[in-house]
Amino acid sequence: MKALILLSSLGVISLLAEIFSFKKLLYPLVLLGLTVAFVLNIGEWNTNVTYFKMMQFDNYAVAFTSLIIVVAFLWFLMAEGFFKDETNQTDHYSLVLFALVGAVLMVSYTNMTMLFLGIEILSIPMYILAGSKKGDIQSNEAAFKYLIMGAFATGFLLFGITLVYGSTGSFNLEEIKNAVSVPGTVPSIFYVGVLLMLVGMSFKVSAAPFHFWAPDVYQGAPTMITAFMATIVKTAAMAAFLRLFDDTFHRVEATWAHVLWIMTALTLLTGNITAVFQTTTKRMLAYSSVAHAGYMLLALLAANGYSSSSILFYTLAYSIGSIATFCIISIVANAKGDDGIHSFNGLAKTNPLLAGVMTIALLSLAGIPPTAGFFAKYFIFTSAFMAGNVGLVLIAILASLIGVYYYFRIIIAMYFKEKASEEEIQVDMNHKLLLIVVAFAIIALGLFPDAVIRLL
Amino acid sequence: MITTYLFYLLSFLAIMFGSMVVLSKNPVHSVLYLVLTFFTIAGHYVLLNAQFLAAVHVIVYAGAIMVLFLFVIMLLNLNKETEPHKSIWLKASAAVASGSLLVVLVGSLKGASTIQSINAFNPNIGLIENLGTTLFRDFLLPFEVSSILLLAAMVGAVMLGKKSIK
Repeated sequence: MKALILLSSLGVISLLAEIFSFKKLLYPLVLLGLTVAFVLNIGEWNTNVTYFKMMQFDNYAVAFTSLIIVVAFLWFLMAEGFFKDETNQTDHYSLVLFALVGAVLMVSYTNMTMLFLGIEILSIPMYILAGSKKGDIQSNEAAFKYLIMGAFATGFLLFGITLVYGSTGSFNLEEIKNAVSVPGTVPSIFYVGVLLMLVGMSFKVSAAPFHFWAPDVYQGAPTMITAFMATIVKTAAMAAFLRLFDDTFHRVEATWAHVLWIMTALTLLTGNITAVFQTTTKRMLAYSSVAHAGYMLLALLAANGYSSSSILFYTLAYSIGSIATFCIISIVANAKGDDGIHSFNGLAKTNPLLAGVMTIALLSLAGIPPTAGFFAKYFIFTSAFMAGNVGLVLIAILASLIGVYYYFRIIIAMYFKEKASEEEIQVDMNHKLLLIVVAFAIIALGLFPDAVIRLL
Repeated sequence: MITTYLFYLLSFLAIMFGSMVVLSKNPVHSVLYLVLTFFTIAGHYVLLNAQFLAAVHVIVYAGAIMVLFLFVIMLLNLNKETEPHKSIWLKASAAVASGSLLVVLVGSLKGASTIQSINAFNPNIGLIENLGTTLFRDFLLPFEVSSILLLAAMVGAVMLGKKSIK
């Protein structure tokens, strides 16, 4: 809660920077604010406070909030260039910070109204930021598509909330859980409400068949915003999804488990298979992010004691891997003017650091030991295996083999293809530092996964 | 008794105008039908003894937002039929998908009569005093948090609207 208040005030303060002309100070101020928010948030560990019966900062919420703040910190280190634009500098800061507020709400809600507000507070800045390259037609398309499709999905979610409210008489998750504890007395519109909410949440995590917006939006949006969507938005949406379905709706699992089983299999296969045919790296990573949503749904479907810890670890591993890849893609695309896979040809000769970190990050996304991604997938598969979803685990293993193929296309391009030019790409000092830190984090998480997995 | 007839009349009108929003080719007509739909929903609020909500609904939605909508559509001059032709497969799959959804939604109304026993209707719930108490006591936090939502939307609108400094 303290982190939430701090983040909201930071958002308002950054709006004031224009009037009181401290725009130069804003960047260090935001980084400092995020650090303080992280410390304040850690202070709430094991306190389990409930605020107004609307939010509960249990260990689950604190762990995911810390993850979001850490990833946001790394994102700000990567995205300094995004805030260079003179006109909209303060607006960009405040929109990103407000989006973080939404993300924190989504991991800590205990009431449907807070869930809805959290999703909207996260989504609306995202719609706008996706279109923040105003002159670029692709960016406009991304914003428009995201807005229309997102509003449609929100409609489904709201209708679902209405039906759940209509049949149980409460927005409170605990009361809903109690109201449906006796089977046979639950009116059938409750089940339809659950399914409609499933549709709405699946859209937000971009699970098939509600993933069609993801490739266009990820490709059209500015690369930094794509990175934000792939990391923080996905983490928050997944955490909200898990909180709702593995706890509140767990008793009516029979309603949604089969639907989610099919959706998980579809997500894994369409995400991975379509990614193989992509020629631009951003679009390929968009499909790979759809596929990663599929792996996380595997743990969600398992709905056992391992689900939350394995999803926490997976989102962390996936987020830091994505931060590294998107950072390198934006550096390479800026230098070569194109984000196609051929832009990476011979990168290992000109920029060994970029190629090395990219390799570690891609290996982690593909799930190859000793990187973090391997243990992330291992925990997810264990969780699904414990729940008896053996068939789905087999599909997931098959899908991740396909994943290895397209991640290796970039690695092969970097190390074995002839380079187009001898020029070395200039990399900022802070980007270099960030990439080294992230690469170490990926390896460290792969060597000592217990540090995170034991938290929940 | 009269309220029951009124309820059915208003519901029929709401569904009819709602379908007309989707079916009419001219976007200006669509918006006008949407205004009428909002009026029928305001009528439902009155039937539930929530006059304040009805008034706010008419002023905010039918009045302010829809008029803005209408202005934008007129300025964009969307009167021409520019909708691209869609393939028969697309139409067929859309019909099957939305038809299945309709079947599920209608089918779920079976047994809806049991809901009444769970939540007895309190006729005073929509009065302004009760509304205020609920809003500022039970839902205080969401009420405050929605200010962030509105601020974010406002900042975004300004950001998209303003010219860049050269």
